[in-house]
Amino acid sequence: MPGTIDTLATVECNDLIESVSTRSYGQLRLRLDRQIPVLPGQFAMIKPHGHYEPLLRRAMAYYRCGLGKKSLSVDFIYQILGRGTQMLAKLKAGDEVDFLGSLGNTFYIEAAHRHEALLVAGGVGSAALFMLAEELVRCKIPTKLFIGGAGRGDLCGLGDFISLLSSDQVISATMDGSYGEKGFVTVPFEKHLQSRRGEPMIIYACGPDPMLHRVSQIADQFAVPAQLSLESPMACGFGICVGCAVAVKAESPVGFIYKKVCTDGPVFWSNELHW
Amino acid sequence: MNNNPQSAIRNPQSDLLSVEIAGIRFNNPVLTASGTCGYGLDMAELIDLNKLGGVCTKGLSTRPLGGNAPWRIVETHGGMLNAIGLQNIGARAFVEEKLPELRRYDTRIIPNVFGYTVEEYIEAIEILEDGEGIDGYELNISCPNVKAGGESFANDARQAAEVTAAVKRAARRPVIVKLSPNVTDIAVIARSVEDAGADALSLINTAVGMSIDINTRRPRLANVTGGLSGPAIKPIAVRCVFQAFRAVKIPLMGIGGIATVEDALEFIIAGALAIQVGTANFYDPSASMKIIDGLADYCRRNGLENIGALVGTVELNH
Ligand SMILES: Cc1cc2nc3c(=O)[nH]c(=O)nc-3n(C[C@H](O)[C@H](O)[C@H](O)COP(=O)(O)OP(=O)(O)OC[C@H]3O[C@@H](n4cnc5c(N)ncnc54)[C@H](O)[C@@H]3O)c2cc1C
Ligand SMILES: Cc1cc2nc3c(=O)[nH]c(=O)nc-3n(C[C@H](O)[C@H](O)[C@H](O)COP(=O)(O)O)c2cc1C
Ligand code: FES
Repeated sequence: MPGTIDTLATVECNDLIESVSTRSYGQLRLRLDRQIPVLPGQFAMIKPHGHYEPLLRRAMAYYRCGLGKKSLSVDFIYQILGRGTQMLAKLKAGDEVDFLGSLGNTFYIEAAHRHEALLVAGGVGSAALFMLAEELVRCKIPTKLFIGGAGRGDLCGLGDFISLLSSDQVISATMDGSYGEKGFVTVPFEKHLQSRRGEPMIIYACGPDPMLHRVSQIADQFAVPAQLSLESPMACGFGICVGCAVAVKAESPVGFIYKKVCTDGPVFWSNELHW
Repeated sequence: MNNNPQSAIRNPQSDLLSVEIAGIRFNNPVLTASGTCGYGLDMAELIDLNKLGGVCTKGLSTRPLGGNAPWRIVETHGGMLNAIGLQNIGARAFVEEKLPELRRYDTRIIPNVFGYTVEEYIEAIEILEDGEGIDGYELNISCPNVKAGGESFANDARQAAEVTAAVKRAARRPVIVKLSPNVTDIAVIARSVEDAGADALSLINTAVGMSIDINTRRPRLANVTGGLSGPAIKPIAVRCVFQAFRAVKIPLMGIGGIATVEDALEFIIAGALAIQVGTANFYDPSASMKIIDGLADYCRRNGLENIGALVGTVELNH
């Protein structure tokens, strides 16, 4: 079975969700007539078929997947920001989508055995963590989610996470205080690490760069390993444009080399990264 | 034009599409452009490299280069700006690590070469001369010549000729010189590179551009400016091919915004004997495959025995 295919997928549903923070999101389900491996942390490059404005496909993390008899359905959650995601928001059931996937590496789940897994999600970054949470639960690894956003409506996938992990394992924080603690999600996250100092833990995080940077500092401080799922502008998603560079520590005159987020990542160990 | 529908219909795709450029026989006139297909192998999971006319590799230098800081790319209307900074594994690593696998495919291999001095071009070529299975070189002369004030080789007829002549002396394989559109008169540069011994020309490289974030008032690219590519530059590229075709006798490869068979045909009619697909590989990885099939169909439908019959047939009389 090939890992990466370029194919047409069909829209099954595309539900728009508005948040009081004035941000909007969409949840898109695509059906593929073929089955390919879909791993937690991986992503696809998608855009409405036949549309060339914008030109480039957009990288979207797999949120969830389901196997049919011969088909595969994959869900994405996208935040409606610029031209690409505005085009995605116009998709209707039955429309065709250019789909290139599966792309990228996966979270290193083996490292979580006999550890408590702490997931940290910021905004739409939670989308990249749901399949990971499902896999951790399947492996019977105690899992907690710290999820943050501007307001209640920006905690993407909150309901699904609560059903999966139970509400006492989901700690929320919002900037407007409309749900959970008021402020950055990294605050309750840091408190938790403090209270469990010395216990075996592993961190998995996805969200905006400033949040990831803070998570990586906290991980360092408590000497807890952390895997971060990164974003970067991508033209191709499969390793040929070298647009998605991220600086990774290495023995070189400048102390780092550039790796590709699309094929070397998107998941990196936080201590590999040259911030 | 040789119009003979009967024989064209019977011709297999290879006869319809095979072309010879600078002594290199290509199964068809469709290549992937430098910097948009990695080292060729990176495309192998998505397209059949055996079907491709040829591969121009990512630009290679004597030593590996780390490239520019992010952000390196930004999408604009109908195209994108890039400032990758010529990140590459170096000519030696290409010969040792990529070439042995790449030459197993039935496609022509054209390493793209650059340097910041004439000597660096020669050094890179000398390394590549050891490589088995290389069919020819494409010279990216759009780099700044650091020994001559940092102006790009491609922008000055004399410097463009100097680097071409030096590489021709060092290379036993054919040399295709890649021209930049960022010049006042492309015909002048084309002629001077032809006189210096180039076996063919490829054109165009990216057009220098810039994009600014209106909220931060910062350039969107860390490098400030970058190269514009994609459909947005196609009319400029067609014009350059048209002008170069009138200026020189050596064959041309057309590049710039080609994504469909119609785009490819436009370049051929303007004067290109082959074309390269660049940015389209990013958003439609099988664009080159569709163009190859489309060109064969076009030949059959129009009774062309070979695509070469269409080159430079643009009709200027109304
Ligand atoms: C591996 C990966 C997974 C992603 N998963 C998701 C997801 O699950 N849900 C989601 O909403 N978004 C996700 N993104 C971001 C998404 O690909 C788009 O970049 C973002 O939605 C903005 O696109 P746009 O068309 O709305 O904005 P535009 O302003 O039109 O984007 C212009 C260009 O900039 C790039 N760009 C803009 N902002 C960013 C950014 N923050 N990071 C990287 N590139 C950017 C776009 O890719 C595009 O090429 C992911 C990105 C990556 C790299
Ligand atoms: C990301 C990127 C990297 C490129 N790298 C190179 C390079 O290393 N050497 C070179 O000669 N041209 C390079 N080019 C230019 C292309 O080969 C091509 O000439 C140009 O993009 C126009 O064609 P297009 O519009 O089809 O992309 C690059 C283009 C892009 C978009
Ligand atoms: S997005 Fe093109 S190389 Fe990573």
